[in-house]
Amino acid sequence: MSKNSAPPVSNAIGRARGPRGFGGPVEKAKDKKETIKRIWRYMEKQKIAIVVSIILVIISTLLNLLVPYIIKVTIDEYIIPKDMDGTLRFLVILAIVYTAAAAFTWLQNFLMVQVSLKTIRSLRQDLYEKFQTLSLRFFDKRTHGDLMSRVTNDIESLNNALSQSVIQIISTVMMVTGVTIAMFILNWVLAIVSLLVVPLVIFTTKKIISYSSSNFIKRQRDLGELNGFVEEAISGNEVITLFGQEEKNINKFSVVNERLRSSATAADTVSGFLGPINNFINNLGLALIIGVGALLTVHEMATVGIIAAFVNYSRQFFRPINQLSTLLNTFQSAIAGAERVFEIMDETPDLLDKENALAIDNLKGDVTFNHVHFSYERGKPILKNISFEAKAGEKIALVGPTGSGKTTIINLLMRFYELDSGNIKIDGRSISDYQISRLREKIGIVLQDTFLFSGSILENIRYGRLEATDDEVIEAAKLASAHRFIKHLPDRYNTQITGNGSNLSIGQRQLLAIARAILADSDILILDEATSSIDTKTEIDIQKGLNRLSEGRTSFVIAHRLKTIENADRILVIHQGELIEIGTHKELLKQKGFYYELYESQFNI
Amino acid sequence: MKSFRKLLPYVKPYMLFAILAPMFMCIEVAMDLLSPTIMQHIIDTGIANNDTAYVIKLGILMLVTAVIGLIGGVGCTIYSTRAAVNFAADIRKDVFKMTERFSSENMDNIGVGKLITIVTNDITAVQQALMMTLRVFVRGPLLFIGAVAIVWFTARELFPVLLAVIPILMILIYFFSYKTGKLFAKVQKAMDKVNTKLQETFAGIRVIKAFDRQNYEIEAFKHVNDGLTKRTMAAEQVILTLMPVMLFIVNIGVVVGMWMGAIKVNEGALQVGVILAFTNYLTIIMNGLVSSSHVLMQITRSFTSAGRIQQVLETKIDITDSVDPLSNDEIKGEVEFKSVYFSYSKNGEYVLKDISFHVKSGDTIGIIGPTGSGKSTLIKLLPRLYDPDLGEVLINGINIKEYSIKKLRELIGFVPQKATLFAGSIEDNIRFGKEEATLEDMEKAANSAAASEFIDKLDGQFTHELTQGATNLSGGQKQRLSMTRAFIRQPQILVLDDSTSAIDALSEVQVQQALTHDLSDTTVFIVSSKVSSIINANRILVMEDGIIVASGTHDELIDKNDVYRSIYATQSGKGGLSYE
Repeated sequence: MSKNSAPPVSNAIGRARGPRGFGGPVEKAKDKKETIKRIWRYMEKQKIAIVVSIILVIISTLLNLLVPYIIKVTIDEYIIPKDMDGTLRFLVILAIVYTAAAAFTWLQNFLMVQVSLKTIRSLRQDLYEKFQTLSLRFFDKRTHGDLMSRVTNDIESLNNALSQSVIQIISTVMMVTGVTIAMFILNWVLAIVSLLVVPLVIFTTKKIISYSSSNFIKRQRDLGELNGFVEEAISGNEVITLFGQEEKNINKFSVVNERLRSSATAADTVSGFLGPINNFINNLGLALIIGVGALLTVHEMATVGIIAAFVNYSRQFFRPINQLSTLLNTFQSAIAGAERVFEIMDETPDLLDKENALAIDNLKGDVTFNHVHFSYERGKPILKNISFEAKAGEKIALVGPTGSGKTTIINLLMRFYELDSGNIKIDGRSISDYQISRLREKIGIVLQDTFLFSGSILENIRYGRLEATDDEVIEAAKLASAHRFIKHLPDRYNTQITGNGSNLSIGQRQLLAIARAILADSDILILDEATSSIDTKTEIDIQKGLNRLSEGRTSFVIAHRLKTIENADRILVIHQGELIEIGTHKELLKQKGFYYELYESQFNI
Repeated sequence: MKSFRKLLPYVKPYMLFAILAPMFMCIEVAMDLLSPTIMQHIIDTGIANNDTAYVIKLGILMLVTAVIGLIGGVGCTIYSTRAAVNFAADIRKDVFKMTERFSSENMDNIGVGKLITIVTNDITAVQQALMMTLRVFVRGPLLFIGAVAIVWFTARELFPVLLAVIPILMILIYFFSYKTGKLFAKVQKAMDKVNTKLQETFAGIRVIKAFDRQNYEIEAFKHVNDGLTKRTMAAEQVILTLMPVMLFIVNIGVVVGMWMGAIKVNEGALQVGVILAFTNYLTIIMNGLVSSSHVLMQITRSFTSAGRIQQVLETKIDITDSVDPLSNDEIKGEVEFKSVYFSYSKNGEYVLKDISFHVKSGDTIGIIGPTGSGKSTLIKLLPRLYDPDLGEVLINGINIKEYSIKKLRELIGFVPQKATLFAGSIEDNIRFGKEEATLEDMEKAANSAAASEFIDKLDGQFTHELTQGATNLSGGQKQRLSMTRAFIRQPQILVLDDSTSAIDALSEVQVQQALTHDLSDTTVFIVSSKVSSIINANRILVMEDGIIVASGTHDELIDKNDVYRSIYATQSGKGGLSYE
């Protein structure tokens, strides 16, 4: 579950927030230049729009710079001397300048928003496509929350930066330079006075940001801890209730809650100071400008118009500077976010088709494992020296205690992971000789944890073979004995599945997964503990159907119920990663070994 | 709106802060409003009269107002933060307390996901709303009203400009907020679709790979991705139009104001300084309007959050202690169900119908039947996770509603179908069952649950840390740990709900032996779909469609009951149906 501190939507709405808003800790990117270059490569496709936008920014900034000057002239040369015609003329000019500035500003933003959204759309798509190429090993190492956060939050913060910050940075730089020049041109004494407060702004902003950062980090940490705790407590509510742990849990919660209370107070207070302090500095600057300006005017070294101009210029100067810190933060977070996205893009899929991999249309189904060794984590071997042979059409049962490695054997057959050593052959060729997609298409599997997608039952079963007709889907459902319960549902095959099938029982979900596999009509069949929580009546029906299906096809079954596999052509007994016994049911019973023990213990009749 | 008001009592302890904050803000606002007027006087009196001393005096006054304003702003920040954060922290505590007391039915009604969002996101939203109210929502309107008032009193000749500009701005703001609200709701929906696709991709990556559906999924994602982009673009285009348009209106207002002011100056009725002050006030008015509307939006959005929080706080806990609960120490595990009817949805569709049976203390009862027959539901009534709709559940001859809930649950050791464990050490998890458990107790319980075998092999053994959701253990290991947790209680009644489904047969035998030897005085309920788990029970209840269709020992049922016989046949292979 991804934890965002604020949903991306409200970030968009809150963008007009001025200096009073300052949302979170600053993340530092590791290699800014490189990341910026890569972001640029995505934006490059819209070079024209970007260039036009920048031109517009320049023009609108220049227009804005003109305004205070026009006002000065209007006041000094027309209003005060009471020249109505001149006043009118210049006010019209002013109105035109305002209109033009508004239009250009709007247009530049319009273009940049387009650029930004199109850029992140490509980025999101590429990221998703990348995910689809990465192997299971990659997904084993990461939490879903982390991955989701990269696609949503990190890319979203990039959106904020691109659509707004880029323009704002350019216009700020231009504005600040322009204003400084204009001020000096008009009246250098007043200009110096106006700029006196700038160092003060920079100093206090830096101080507040660094103070805030450390507080924010603490608050985020406490928030994360609280959220994790709450999630566990609420999902595990049943157990907590059963064992009467409510009081204890509430106390544990209080501890974290209190910690959050103080860290949140500190963080929000310090960051909240930014607004009033910026306001104060602005007012200070204003006071200096007006005071000194008035003194100069009295001594004929300046005019009222100049004061008016300077008041305007200082506003134009300070607004962006106040927002600069927020701006830079947004920018920083965006770069850091982009880095995390590129981190994924740089992952190399460790499971690739080799050159000239074969695109097979069917597999006969001869399967051989030769001295296969495998470990998920280095140093912790899961399979040791597994070797066996299965002829096409045979039913092979894998038996053994939990954690012995049965599921792993299946994972390797599907080429979900690469072997440490040894090889697996199908139809005489190593599985790495085949195209992965074709290989997996030809091996049908019903997994331990049934997974269904949101969508209708029909769509979910059709996942097994996308080109299947509705009739074929229903036929598969009948074979899996799923049709019986589906036809009693109010929407029947159009029933929508929500949240991985939480609106169906465990048994029903497994039936759907089996129907899906039946539809896939594969050459080799794998069943991984799929039938262990379905009632036995349904199990009979499924087995009937599966028998029909697996006729002539090699099939591997993993189950704990020995009785269901005693008619297998061969039983592989796996214990602690090793293949300790092979044989038919009768042969193994005669051996009076591990299998015999297992069998006897199930029924002490 | 109402729900927000209902939460206001939580502000009460911090009333002082909640009052001080806006008061300090008033100070800051007053100072902000003062400064254009001071400027006006400097120009119209000081400069006009060449009065240096006056200029300096007023200049210093401006500095002083700036400092006072700072104090106001800082004070407001401090107190508003305190009020809001404490408000939220208190609510959070109460909401969490409430959820801990939730019965399973309460939980089902609200939903786990929604509840988590409420405790985390919704409370934060409400905190932000309060903080914004105490800060910006005071500032914005005050600035607006103050500026309008000052213009009325000091620059009345230019007031007509406001009469034109302000209504236009208000209409613009209202219109845009309304539009963006709707558009963003659409964006949120599109975002949800993207998130769902992502979440399903990650959770179902094996299935995607197994069926080789990568390209299909990529196409599907393209679809939702494009949808999101389109919706976002529409929303953002609207937003980015607002500010330029508003600024434009204000600027035209400045132009008109300057024109009218020029006329008056020409007539000698007005001084230049007033024009300057006016333009400043106009900007203040616009800022005031914008920030007010902004905050208003945020606050309105928090109303839904407030509503959801209220929903939790006002939930009627349906499993409560009776008025004078019994708490005897000596309660044996004699259990009886008397004509029990139960439904989850309370709409007459009973999941359990007319369940009646009696169990002697110390007996082992097996419950078997197809999925959906009501087996798990039945036993959930024992610890009062749910209460029956009709009928009674009795322990020791007394309706369990008469017992104190705490005492009742202490009697029962429950191993649920899904082995839920918590982040922390294995020890911590086992201690859920018994606080004062010693290492010896734990080892003994672990042995009975066939868990010692894997615990001994872990780093740190009992102190081994589990991750959230215990993903570092296999399904079978989790189940055995869950059993250890129940066993360590030495309960009077033990319930095993399909707890051995992922355990291999050998371990299951170990557990069964432990049950016979160590917990022989305990009344044991075993729910299973495997005959082998219940074959030695004193009595077996066969369930189908919420009714007990048969009851008896294994041998009796083989003799008398078709349903049981067929179940047994398929599992034992005696009927030879497995692969034919």
